[in-house]
Amino acid sequence: MPKARKPSRRDFLKTAGAAMAAPYIITSAARGSADRPPPSDRIVMGGIGIGNMGRGDQGAFLNRKDVQYVALCDVREEVREKSKAGIDGHYKNQDCKVYNDFRELLARPDIDAVHIATPDHWHAILVIEACRAGKDVYCQKPETLTLREGPLMIAAARRYGRVVSGGSQRVLEDYRKFVDPAWAGEFGKLKSINVNVDPLPQLCNLPAEDMTEKIDWDLWLGPAPWAPYNSKRCSGSFSINGASWRSFGDYSGGGMTDWGAHHFGGATFVADVRELQPAEVTYHEENGRPYLSYRYPNGFMLYHNRPNTGNLHIEGSDEAAVPKPVPGYQGEGGIYGDFIHCVKTREKPFRDIELAVNSAVVSHLGNIAYALKRSLKWDVARQEFPGDEEANRLVDRARREPWQL
Amino acid sequence: MLDNAFEALKKYDWGTDRAPVTPISDAAAAAHGNPEARKDLESRLLAALKSDISRDAKDYVCRVLTLVGSAAAAPVLSKLLADENHSHMARFALERIPAPEAADALRDALPKLPAKLKIGAISSIGNRGDAHAVSALKGLLEDGDAAVARAAAAALGHIGNAAAEQALRAAHPSSGVVQQAVIDARLACAESLLAVGNAGEALAVYDSLAGDQQPRLVRLAATRGKLACAAKTA
Repeated sequence: MPKARKPSRRDFLKTAGAAMAAPYIITSAARGSADRPPPSDRIVMGGIGIGNMGRGDQGAFLNRKDVQYVALCDVREEVREKSKAGIDGHYKNQDCKVYNDFRELLARPDIDAVHIATPDHWHAILVIEACRAGKDVYCQKPETLTLREGPLMIAAARRYGRVVSGGSQRVLEDYRKFVDPAWAGEFGKLKSINVNVDPLPQLCNLPAEDMTEKIDWDLWLGPAPWAPYNSKRCSGSFSINGASWRSFGDYSGGGMTDWGAHHFGGATFVADVRELQPAEVTYHEENGRPYLSYRYPNGFMLYHNRPNTGNLHIEGSDEAAVPKPVPGYQGEGGIYGDFIHCVKTREKPFRDIELAVNSAVVSHLGNIAYALKRSLKWDVARQEFPGDEEANRLVDRARREPWQL
Repeated sequence: MLDNAFEALKKYDWGTDRAPVTPISDAAAAAHGNPEARKDLESRLLAALKSDISRDAKDYVCRVLTLVGSAAAAPVLSKLLADENHSHMARFALERIPAPEAADALRDALPKLPAKLKIGAISSIGNRGDAHAVSALKGLLEDGDAAVARAAAAALGHIGNAAAEQALRAAHPSSGVVQQAVIDARLACAESLLAVGNAGEALAVYDSLAGDQQPRLVRLAATRGKLACAAKTA
């Protein structure tokens, strides 16, 4: 299977710019052509959250001939305008509608599917509301901000029969070199894998700044605690060290979830425990440096930041493992093509929301163990820490009114 | 060190250094298994919450109370529920404090809160799965403010027991948005009922939502539910 490269912003702008420069002749958005399905056979899509990751996702869907991209939503005016210009240029029309409020986009009956790339504190609400509105969903990783959100997102997807895909393309594409030999049995029965990823989320008390952009600040904050505008607080840069929302616990699980979604997702794929959640996480300290070990119900051990151990270090055994075929994407075009294929066929995507949630759980359990500085048991069926009243308080958090799950 | 941290809390605000107050949250984690230490920390936090400190400092206190708050915190936090600047963070703590007094505080606040803050309290009641709140929430299903009624429906869906389902079934919302929320909540109740082995009541919900008068999305959801019930009882 060829590796799909995630389109960059540069790719998208180059494509959109070339389209805008072309003379207006006739739009294939209006009718089918030899290499494009007729409108009735295209998946009608919109996007919510068109920042750094949203632009890439948008470009990938926009460039598919079997997708008609008709609407976008972002709380930043400049983002809306630039994104609309790119889409209208691509289609050589003015049809793309823009929204500040996602509820208006989700209310459109003509939209089949949405991609979501807001900050993490919005993911659960948006995925659930999209399912309630009958949309299929491609949601960026990490899909959840709290442990409780995952089961509610899965329930909404299953209730309404929606295709909901998580968003880490790296799980398959970056870790294939480990997955293939592991699933072929070359390492024997796997004992453990170590993942190195940092940092933990931090509290954000950045000072108030003058607002230098046109942004709906109340809607950006959404269910998160109120806080004054600060450009770093809401920056969508990839920093996880205090210069973007990815660093702060009100909006993200820090590097532990941001990169953890990739690394833990990859490690649990290599070990074929994607369908499981850890039964316990043990807190260790060595020379004052904390690290974790997770025990899965089948005995597999996952480590986090194990001393003197490299990222994705795999510990095999002499015990034979039965070779098995490696699951992959369906359709054409990497993880985006997999999602669109499943929208058409109603199959489960490679990063089905349940599998995505399971890898996010690893990150959240770790964040809670580090916050409490102690070991925890996890009851997967009940989704709680058995007999641990304190840890159970951290399974979820109150959302700012009027937002609720 | 903790004394210094509480002293620093008096000057804590957005833009100040976080490090001087961090020993307070460290103390909360360290108090595990030490009821006296938890009680002492909670007392100091509640005293701080009642004092004249910044909004950000009160937010910080509520975050720590999420972990160490007890029944003693409920009356102090409940006084903040009607304050637009502090209502959410009061719930941030109250929602996660397992003491029944915290649930009482949220329920008791409902009639006193303006619509927006009431939605927050309703949401927290639902997230707690507070079965004692069914009657109060039922009364809100036909609230004149559709957002309040919608929130009440969602909360009943989270509670998910037979009484919650009955309350939802009896509702006659005029707003389409509320109708949709009531149906979604009934489907959620059916899933909860089925999960605890009450396939009969779950099936009754699905049967009532499978008719031609329902939108296609709902009919399909009800049909899937009926199949799940059949699989459970086969």
